[in-house]
Amino acid sequence: MSTQLKYKEEEETAGSAPATARTITVAVAGNPNSGKSTLINAIAGTRLHVGNWAGVTVEKKEALFEFGGRKIRLVDLPGTYSLSPYSQEEIVARDYLVHERPDLIVNVVDATNLERNLYLTVQIMELGIPVVMALNIYDEAQEKGYRIDVKGIEEMLGIAVVPTSATKKTGLDELLSRALAVADSPTGSAPRKLNYGEDVETAVDYVAEALERNYPSLLERYPKRWLLLKIMEQDSQVLEKVNLADQGFLDEALHHLKRAHGEDIESIMADVRYSLASGLTREILEKPELRQTELTEKIDRIVLNRFLGIPIFMLAMWLLFKLTFDLSAPYGDWLRAMTEGPFKRWASAILTPLGAPDWTVSLVNDGVIAGVGSVIVFVPVIFAMMFFITFLEGSGYMARAAFVMDRTMHSIGLHGKSFIPMLLGFGCNVPGIYATRTLENPKDKVLTALLVPLMSCGARLPVYVLFVGIFFPNNSGTVIWSLYIIGILLAVFMGLIFKRTLFRGEAPMFIMELPPYRMPSFSSLCVHTWEKGKHFLFKAGTYIFAVSVLVWFLLNLPWGVEHKRDSYLGQAGAAVAPIFQPVGFGTWEAASSLITGVIAKEIVVGTMGEIYAPKHGEEKKEIPTLKEDLKEIVTSFGEASVKAMKTLLYLPQPEEKEEDQGGLKLAIGGAFTPLTAYAFMVFVLLYMPCVVAIAAMRQEFGTWKWAAVGLLYQTALAWGAALIVYQGGRLLGLGG
Amino acid sequence: MNLAKLKPGQKGRITSIGSIGPLKRRLMDMGVLVGEDVKVLKVAPMGDPIEVSIKSYNLSLRKKEAEGIAVEVAG
Repeated sequence: MSTQLKYKEEEETAGSAPATARTITVAVAGNPNSGKSTLINAIAGTRLHVGNWAGVTVEKKEALFEFGGRKIRLVDLPGTYSLSPYSQEEIVARDYLVHERPDLIVNVVDATNLERNLYLTVQIMELGIPVVMALNIYDEAQEKGYRIDVKGIEEMLGIAVVPTSATKKTGLDELLSRALAVADSPTGSAPRKLNYGEDVETAVDYVAEALERNYPSLLERYPKRWLLLKIMEQDSQVLEKVNLADQGFLDEALHHLKRAHGEDIESIMADVRYSLASGLTREILEKPELRQTELTEKIDRIVLNRFLGIPIFMLAMWLLFKLTFDLSAPYGDWLRAMTEGPFKRWASAILTPLGAPDWTVSLVNDGVIAGVGSVIVFVPVIFAMMFFITFLEGSGYMARAAFVMDRTMHSIGLHGKSFIPMLLGFGCNVPGIYATRTLENPKDKVLTALLVPLMSCGARLPVYVLFVGIFFPNNSGTVIWSLYIIGILLAVFMGLIFKRTLFRGEAPMFIMELPPYRMPSFSSLCVHTWEKGKHFLFKAGTYIFAVSVLVWFLLNLPWGVEHKRDSYLGQAGAAVAPIFQPVGFGTWEAASSLITGVIAKEIVVGTMGEIYAPKHGEEKKEIPTLKEDLKEIVTSFGEASVKAMKTLLYLPQPEEKEEDQGGLKLAIGGAFTPLTAYAFMVFVLLYMPCVVAIAAMRQEFGTWKWAAVGLLYQTALAWGAALIVYQGGRLLGLGG
Repeated sequence: MNLAKLKPGQKGRITSIGSIGPLKRRLMDMGVLVGEDVKVLKVAPMGDPIEVSIKSYNLSLRKKEAEGIAVEVAG
């Protein structure tokens, strides 16, 4: 209650400010697949700030910008089909609209799918907040020969309607201008009150009377019509909040209605709202008589074909990884060369003349730059991965993947939609865990979140890339692919075990739209990729930077330690090393790296760099000048681009000379064999999720319980799997 | 007759929805209402779920959920 009261006060102070100085808050609501996300990206671009809704982890996007000399705050609500209280998205969206009362709602409507989209519009209009409709995907509707009476919608609903195409960026300025005009108009901007039919309206009046008599304060706290309808619908969430002492009047109000319709109240209301949406659609939409076979139908005939569906799915996944790795690898190499060469040289060149002691130079070079470098190197691969995953989502294939995979996912007690968090998990487990929110049933959520960390995330890739580059240079792709497959197979295995132990019971529903295929706009893809990639960068930036410096200290303390082995980290590593003896890498170096890798798995590489890399500054060669350095950076970037294109097109490449291997690769080459390297990679794949993922689980489920379950089962699984690989490999005579 | 028993290409009209609670509400929010025309388009490669066309868009649901939706076959 207190939040709503507080809100009232804020509104009053805001109201007293001069109109033009006020920031206008615009909430953007719409169906999933209505192009809402693209529209927001097109309007706000890189000004978007991505965060979370308070208390929950549904993604919240916000942007603050000026338009027509006015400040606008754009708030993206989760995409929903309805405002019922059954999924977290719906609850977040409606709580925001009811309690924060934005100045305006922009309702994004898919012009090619009017009826179902208008069903949400009808519900949004109940809130009494001014609405401007973005009639999106309008271009496509026109191409299909749809004739939509835009004026007609405006008249019938009493709201402003602006045709838009987010992908072509048309109508966006007009949308904003109309939104401003509506927000500024002092009266008459509220949408029309729709007539829900005599039976319903009589019942609403009855409820209104009862409330006015007994609970007058309630009507001030909530949008009136919305509250009346929700109480009438016996909306569980609203009834709980308003806490009516006596609900007797409700039974009376509904008695007649229920008898006349012979249905429960929720069905009656859904029917009434859909009738309005259908009626409106009939009035304003004219479809061509002859319907052509649509592109989506043609594609689905192949993509969802009985025999081709699964091979195509596998092919799509293979393509995803092929593109991701081949495109990004040369740029990763380029960044590595940059941090290892010029950056360190520049740091030394700056610090040494300033009289900085050797340990400071070492801290900066081997702690800070090396640590940050080990993150930056993997930015290209993570961005590429995000780009293609976003493409899959935006194009509509992701839903098909869930459709094709549901049977399989269902058999391990998961939902076809669990596939999406799992797939996101390949980028990074953390958003994967957050994405479990799209699942409605808490059991589904927890089980999916427990299995997501078995998906090999982008942060594990650095470890594979390093080891594969040393031990399996000729079939690096196959080896990395095999690790991903091991993760998936073990997820299936663990899913079956969990289903029979921790999560017995019925698996819940699978009701999902298969949206038409659409080509996502390139700029929207880039904005989206940037948003997601930035999250990784920041996460990596803060955590990994801190840990890299911490590791440097652990390695260099106690003060004046001679050999790395005697450092704090080395001591800890040596203490746990025997545990890893049976799995093939019982050295203090490997153990120490695994300890720090708990913070984030890519740090395994950073720590190995610290431990194995030869002391800096031993090989004093000719130092290039700053000018030469800069020139080299530019030309090598060009070379990387050429190489990426060539690999992608399978053009022959000039043989590379393996000069630039660096001390780390040499040292690891001596410390591991191909077999122990593989066992080590399997262990890194499976052992406990990184602390960020654990924190995400803790936040997601409000208890440490599931995070602890994840930590324990994964570490045990990792050890077991590495044992099988190593001992099995030895039995097969693959060397030790 | 229920929706799960329709073959791809077959059309029907919904006569009742047997499911209850959130499942029923979700179905209705997606436009699965009594009196609505529905056409089965596809069955997933592994036999489940199915894809139907309703309210001029495509929806997928599991056979088990479709079993609760009674239909009369129309053509």
